[in-house]
Amino acid sequence: MDGGKPEHSIPEKPRALPATEVLIGRLGWLIRLRWVAVGGSLFFVEVARRVLPIHIYFSQIFTVLGMLALYNMILGLVLRRVRRGGVGDSGNGSGGEGEESVGGVARFILPRTLPGVEYYDSKAAQAALLAGAQIGFDLFFLALLLHFAGGIENPLRVFFLFHIIIASILLSRQATYVVATAGLVFLSAVALGEFWGILPHYALEGHWRLDGYLDPGLVGAQLFLLGVTLFVAAYLASSIAARLRRRELDVVVLSRYLADKTESLEATCAELSAAEEAKSQYMRKVAHELRGPLGTIRTALTVVLEMMPETVAEKTLDLIRRAHRRAGELADITQELLSLSRAKGGRAVADFTLVEPAVLARHAMERLEFRAEEAGVSLSAEVEGELPAILGDPEGLGDLLANLLGNAVRYTPKGGSATLRVHGVGGRLVMEVEDTGIGIPKEDLPRIFDEFFRSKVAREFAPDGSGLGMAIVKAVLEHHEGSISVESAPGEGTRVRVEIPFEFDL
Amino acid sequence: MEGKTKILLVDDDQDLVDILTMVMEGRNYEVVSAKDASQALSQAEAERPDLIVLDVMMPEATEGFHVVWDLRSRKETYFQDVPIIMLTAIHEATPLRFYPDSGDGTYSPGEYLPVQGFVDKPVEPEILLKELERVLAISSGSR
Repeated sequence: MDGGKPEHSIPEKPRALPATEVLIGRLGWLIRLRWVAVGGSLFFVEVARRVLPIHIYFSQIFTVLGMLALYNMILGLVLRRVRRGGVGDSGNGSGGEGEESVGGVARFILPRTLPGVEYYDSKAAQAALLAGAQIGFDLFFLALLLHFAGGIENPLRVFFLFHIIIASILLSRQATYVVATAGLVFLSAVALGEFWGILPHYALEGHWRLDGYLDPGLVGAQLFLLGVTLFVAAYLASSIAARLRRRELDVVVLSRYLADKTESLEATCAELSAAEEAKSQYMRKVAHELRGPLGTIRTALTVVLEMMPETVAEKTLDLIRRAHRRAGELADITQELLSLSRAKGGRAVADFTLVEPAVLARHAMERLEFRAEEAGVSLSAEVEGELPAILGDPEGLGDLLANLLGNAVRYTPKGGSATLRVHGVGGRLVMEVEDTGIGIPKEDLPRIFDEFFRSKVAREFAPDGSGLGMAIVKAVLEHHEGSISVESAPGEGTRVRVEIPFEFDL
Repeated sequence: MEGKTKILLVDDDQDLVDILTMVMEGRNYEVVSAKDASQALSQAEAERPDLIVLDVMMPEATEGFHVVWDLRSRKETYFQDVPIIMLTAIHEATPLRFYPDSGDGTYSPGEYLPVQGFVDKPVEPEILLKELERVLAISSGSR
């Protein structure tokens, strides 16, 4: 049997961690950071000019900062286009087919992904190139600033570390090393260019030594130490970033796994409910097939008993009476099987109609009146006036009440009473059936809703009965989002309380 | 009216037809029978019964209903007026509608099945006989 797709939608498999989005988001962050750097530099230069007894080459530094601002503005625009769906490729950036669309350079720049996990789309390639280019340009600008602010002598040189950290967050480990190398190259270009006189030296005239840039020992030591610092930083930062990334990927893999599991669970669930439905239908068919012949047998026997008893001997008549009674029991059982299968099959909610609780109660009372009289049990009902109608299956609800009242009558000794109370409490219809009957032993309570279960006490007290009544009650209640509670004291009586919401979400 | 009251009994269960025929003949009714929808219609035309006792289910789930609609939608007043008693297993799980489809043309949607009485299955002979008397009394009174 094909379970078919469950009706409610399975949540889509979580998309590959939106690494591209993360990357693009971080590029935005980088741009904002750069604005802070520009502003901070301006502020610092201004403060340094007033506070520090040094000469500063304003025009050069302001030119560099202005270029940096312009460059940052352009980057902002480019990033916005990438965000919207790609530069240069027909706007189909986000739908890319995983890693194939990510080119060689981009693949080198982007952090590794786990095998089998598509992590990037084609947009990521552009973002990657953008990230790499930015960091390169930043290094260049920093070197330029350093050059105009005193070269290797300026403590600003340690700012190269920031770029390493940023690179380790955004890029792959190997790209981070490339960035560290580039940083060292730019630093060396400044330091060695000035040392050999290829570049002019803009000295920070003031308290500092002015010839440090010409000291080979100092320049060598600075470059060596800075180089080591850059590479150690690249190693440490990218190690941490890699570990974090791996953890992220674990989460992706795990959520995939969970989504798959959920899907197969839901499929199993659908299969089970289809099997249950098939069982119900089978039951309904069987019961239905039994009904016709049984009804005819009973009618035939009734005709003999009621219309032509004089044609048979008294002994024969007695046998026919027994057969008639047993045929009746059989008819009751098939009737209950039908009710149960109907309640379980669940009449479509679309077929629900408004049911008046008072009418429901009256019909149930009428159905039971005769049996109660026969059993010598006094049957009474207290129904609150002006109850709103309830949305439900009238036949199912009728079966429910008839079964509860039927049990109360069946298991109450002569002279006892059975009472039906119907009232509304806080948006719910409450129907209570209380009797002074034999009660249900505590150990049997959990099983009374099982199909065909009858407690020993019940079987001894009333041999007939199918054991389907409470199963029908339960099935009808499930269909109406109702609830039930049963209190019972053996030998004293039972109270069953059923609650059904007047309205519920269809 | 001349002679006996004629009743058309329609049910696919031949045993039940025989038993109920016996019961009704015992009360001096004349009984003709049919075992499916097309027989029911041709018998109704040929025999012009005073009353029709019609099983709801028959072999196909709604055949009885179709017979009702077929008869009631005919022009001749006899078919519109002939009293019908449905044999139903009213508590049975069915998707049956006791009112016609919209677009049927003859009855507005939501109107109840145009029959005069119902008798539950399994049939209690006494109840059927009482229902026969009740319906016949009303229909002869109205003529």
